[in-house]
Amino acid sequence: MATKRAKLEEILAEKGMPINFQYGGKAPEQMVDREVKKQPCPRVKKLKDLYFQTLSSATVEFPYWYTRKYQELEGEIPVVRRAAALKHAFSHLTPTIFPGELLVMGKAHYYRGSFPMPWLSEGYFMVKEDELYQSALNKGSASADELSKFGTGGGNVTKSFGDVVSIAGKFGMRKEEIPALVKLAKAWVGKSVDDLGHKYEQMIPEYQMKENIMKTLICMFDSGYTLPQGREVINYYYPLQYGFDGLIEMAKEGKARVAGRADGDGLVGMDRLYFYEAVILVLEGIQTWILNYAKEAKRLAGVTEDAVQKKEYEEIAECLEWIAHKQPRTFREALQLTYTIHIAVLNEDAISGMSPGRLGQVLYPWFEQDMEAGRITEEEVLELLECHRMKFTLIDCFASMGVVGGVLSGNTFNNLSMGGLTRDGKPATNRLEMLILEAAMRNETPQPTLSVLYDEKLPEEFLLKAIECNKTGTGYPAWMNNQSAIQFLLNQYGPEGMTVEEARAFAIGGCLETSAGSWMPLTLNGKKYEIPGGSGQPTSVGVHFIANPKVLELVLTNGKDERTGIQVYPPHNKKLQTYEELWETFKEYYEMTVDCLTTTNNIQHDIWRKNNMAVFNSLLKPDCLSKGHHIGNLGYRYNATFNVESCGTVNQINALTAIKKLVYDDKKYTLDELKDALLNNFGFKTAAEVGSFSLAEQEKREDGDKYDEIYGDCLLAPKYGNDDPYADAILKEYEDWFCAMCRNYESLYAKPLYACQISVSTHAPQGAATLASADGRLSGTTYADGSMSAYPGTDRKGAYALFNSATCWDQTQSQNSQMNLKIHPSAIKGDEGSRKLMDLTRAYMRKGGFHIQYNVVDSKVLKDAQKNPHNYRDLMVRVAGFTQYWVEIGKPIQDEVIARTEYEGV
Amino acid sequence: MDKLLKHSDCRNFAPVDVAKGICRIKNELIFIDSSVCNKFVTLPKCKNCSNFVPDKDHMGTCKGFKDNYWAYEENIAVTCEEYAVK
Repeated sequence: MATKRAKLEEILAEKGMPINFQYGGKAPEQMVDREVKKQPCPRVKKLKDLYFQTLSSATVEFPYWYTRKYQELEGEIPVVRRAAALKHAFSHLTPTIFPGELLVMGKAHYYRGSFPMPWLSEGYFMVKEDELYQSALNKGSASADELSKFGTGGGNVTKSFGDVVSIAGKFGMRKEEIPALVKLAKAWVGKSVDDLGHKYEQMIPEYQMKENIMKTLICMFDSGYTLPQGREVINYYYPLQYGFDGLIEMAKEGKARVAGRADGDGLVGMDRLYFYEAVILVLEGIQTWILNYAKEAKRLAGVTEDAVQKKEYEEIAECLEWIAHKQPRTFREALQLTYTIHIAVLNEDAISGMSPGRLGQVLYPWFEQDMEAGRITEEEVLELLECHRMKFTLIDCFASMGVVGGVLSGNTFNNLSMGGLTRDGKPATNRLEMLILEAAMRNETPQPTLSVLYDEKLPEEFLLKAIECNKTGTGYPAWMNNQSAIQFLLNQYGPEGMTVEEARAFAIGGCLETSAGSWMPLTLNGKKYEIPGGSGQPTSVGVHFIANPKVLELVLTNGKDERTGIQVYPPHNKKLQTYEELWETFKEYYEMTVDCLTTTNNIQHDIWRKNNMAVFNSLLKPDCLSKGHHIGNLGYRYNATFNVESCGTVNQINALTAIKKLVYDDKKYTLDELKDALLNNFGFKTAAEVGSFSLAEQEKREDGDKYDEIYGDCLLAPKYGNDDPYADAILKEYEDWFCAMCRNYESLYAKPLYACQISVSTHAPQGAATLASADGRLSGTTYADGSMSAYPGTDRKGAYALFNSATCWDQTQSQNSQMNLKIHPSAIKGDEGSRKLMDLTRAYMRKGGFHIQYNVVDSKVLKDAQKNPHNYRDLMVRVAGFTQYWVEIGKPIQDEVIARTEYEGV
Repeated sequence: MDKLLKHSDCRNFAPVDVAKGICRIKNELIFIDSSVCNKFVTLPKCKNCSNFVPDKDHMGTCKGFKDNYWAYEENIAVTCEEYAVK
C-alpha cells in the first residue's frame, strides 16, 4: 500500500471486496432524525434537565451504619446479624426530597446516589488506598472552570476535580469521606464475600486454570461478590397486599409457629426462627426509612413559601405515612410503594437487572379502581409514570469497575415487561400498559427499559403502539417470544413443579433473561385480582461470560494465550488434522472452562448465602414467608436459575466456518498458515494502536501485504446470517451441543445449569483480549453483539435471510438469544413503515426467534455524536439488551454500534 | 459568614451530587464549595454534635452510643437519635 494509513474498508474496496455496512436501499445523504418525537410533561422536563447535569455520586453513609452495627453484633446468628445491620443502615439514611418530585426516595441522599458495599468486596479500595488518599489530600481549587468540565462521559465522574475524588472513573465521592471509605474497607478485609470466597475457591484442584481463565479474559467476571443477585423479576405482591405491618405480623406468627421446632427437617428446620426474626428487623428498618422521608416532607412543607409545592410535600408525607404501614389505597400510593420496595432491594445488595416485571399488570387494580371512581385522570397517570421513569433512571449500581464499565456500560437493566398471557391463556395486556408505552415515548430514558412478551393473541392496537415506541429510536421495547419462553421455563423448572399456567406468569429479568414468575391473589376493596410477580432466584449467577472466539483461539495455540503468554489449558498436542478433531478439542476446552468456573462460582455464592443472604428480597418472593426460609435455604419457589453465558457466538461460528472451508474442505491453506496469519493479525496493526475497535477503521502495517490473499479468503468465506446452509449447519451443531452441555453442570443448589446467550457489553473487552479470528475479525476489535446479531457488514442478503440463519436451531433450548437490527429511520417512515416493522417482528417470532430489538437511527448521527458528544447529551442507543445514553458508553461499544449493518429498507 | 462553611453544611441545601445542589431558598443550582449566605441554617452533622470527638483526617469518635465507634465529621446526622448540638 502506498500511504500505509489506508483503512481496511478502502483496501477491500480496491480489491473488489467491499464491506457493506448498509443494506436494502439508499438512505438520504443528510442526517435523518427519528420520526417519532414527544416531550415529557413540564414537571418531568425539569427533573430530567437536572438529571442531565447530575454526576454519579457515592457516599459512605449506608456502609458506615451497616458496618457499625455488624461489628457490634459479633457472635450473633448470621442472618439476624445481617438484618440488624441492614435495619441500622436504612434507619439512618438521610432523606432528601427534590423540588418537583411526586415520587420520592432514593438509594442515597444524592439525586443520582449510590454507595459501595465492602462486605461484598473491599479489595479495590485497599489496592487503591494510597491513590484515593492522595486525591483526597490534594487541595482542591474547585473553580467554576473545573466544575463545568463534566460534559464528556455524561454523568460519569471520569476524573478527580476540586474536592471530589473519582472512584474508578465512574463515581464521585467527596474527599472528606475518603478516609472513612478506606477505614470501612479495612473492616472487611478477610471477611468480605470476595475474600472468603477466594480463600475457599483456591481449594478446588482446577483453581489455577480458573485464575488463568480470568486473567486472559476468557471469562469476564465472578458474580458471587460483584453482583450476587439480579437479572430477575422482583415481586411487589406481599407489601401491596398486606402492607408492612401485615408482614411483620405474619413474621411474628411464623416465629411462634416454628420456634424450637425442626418439623422434620433436621438440617435447616431450626433456621426458620432466625429468618422470621430477620424479616421483622429488616421491615422495621424499611418502615423507619420511609417515615424519615415523611418527616422530611413535612419539614419542607413547613418551610416552603410556594403554596403548590407545600401542598405537594404534604401529599408526599401523607402517602409515605400510609404506605409505611398499610396496603396502598390509590394508584399513586401503589406506584410509590413499588418504587420504594425496588430501591430497598437494591440497597440490600449489589444488584444489576432487578426488573419490575409486568408492572402494568401488577398496578392495574389500583389504576382500574381510581379511574372508575374518578380519583385520577389518564394525564395524571402519565405524569406519574414519567416521574417513575425518571426515578428509575437515577438508579446507579456501585460494583467493581470491570463490572460497571466493562460488562454493564453503566446500565442497571430494570426491565419492565408488557403483554404475555394471563393464567388462563388470555391476552394479559391492559390500558395501563398503553399508558406505560406512551410515558416511555414522552419521557425517553434508559430506565426502565421495556419488553413486549409477544404472543399471537395480543391485540393489534397494543402491538402497533409498541412499534410506534420503537420508532422513537429509544431501542425499547424489545420483543420476546412468549411461547418460546414458556417452553424454556417448563423444561427448566418443570422438575420444581412449574405448570403451563404458572409459566405464563414469567417476565424478563435484566436484559432478556426469561425469569420464572407466579400468580398471586390480590384483593383490593373487596375485588379479587391475580397479579404476576417473580418467584425465582437471580439469573445473573453462574458462569459469566465465556468468550467463545477466545476458546477457539486457544485450541489453535495449544492452550496458550499468546497475548499474555499464559498456558491456560493443558496442551492438547493434537495435529488437528480434521475439522472433527478441531471441534472435539474446542468442546473439551470449553467444558474444562465451564467446570472450573462452576465450582469456583458455587463457592463464592455459598459464602454469599451464608453471610450475606438476601433478607428483604427473600421475603418478597414466594414461598419464603410461608416456608420460613430465605433464598440461601431454598425458600424461593424456583431455584434452578444458575446459567452459563456465552459471548461472541457469531464470530466463533464464522471462524469455525472459515477454518472448515479453507483448511479442511478446500485445503487451500494449512492450519499452520492460517495460524501464522492470525498471530500476525493478517498484516494489520492492533486495534489499540489504531485507536478504533471497529473492523472498518483498522489500518494495515507497512509490511502487511503477505497476508492479503488469505485475509481476503477469510473475509469471503461463508458467514452466518445469509441463509447459507454451510455456516448454519455449524451454528446448529454448536447450539445443540452448547445448550445440552450446560445441563451437565450443577449449581450450589444442586440444580442443572442452562444456556444463556447475551453479550451485555462484554463483546468489547473480550474482543479486545482476542487475537484476529479466522472469520476476518482483526485483533482487539469488538465481537458481534448479542448471540444472533450478524457481524457488522456480513449479512448481505437481508433481514429474512438473517432470520432463517438465526432460527436454524431450536431457540427454546436456551434461556434467550439476542438479535439487534439497526434500521435507518427513513426505512420505516409513516404508517406503512410501521406495518413493515410489525411484519418484520412477527416474521421472526413466527420462525421461532426468541428476541429482536431495533436501533432506529441514522449511522451518520452516531458518527457525529462521537465527534461532538456535547451536542448529544440526550441521545440514546440500544447496545445489547439495554438502552444507554451515547455519552455514557465506552468507545469500543460506540464503534461497534456505528459499524452494525444499517438496514435502509425492510 | 464562616469561610469554612460549605453549602452542604446548610439545611436549606438539597445535595444533587458531589459538586452541587439546589438552594431551597433561591431555588437554584449552586456549587457546594461556594460561599454560604446569611440564610444559612446548620445541618446536623457529626462535626456539629457534642458526642463527636474529633481526631485527624476528618475522622473522630462517636460517644453517643455505647459502642464508642469511630465516626467521620461530614456524616449527616438528621436521622441520628443521639445527635446533640454542640
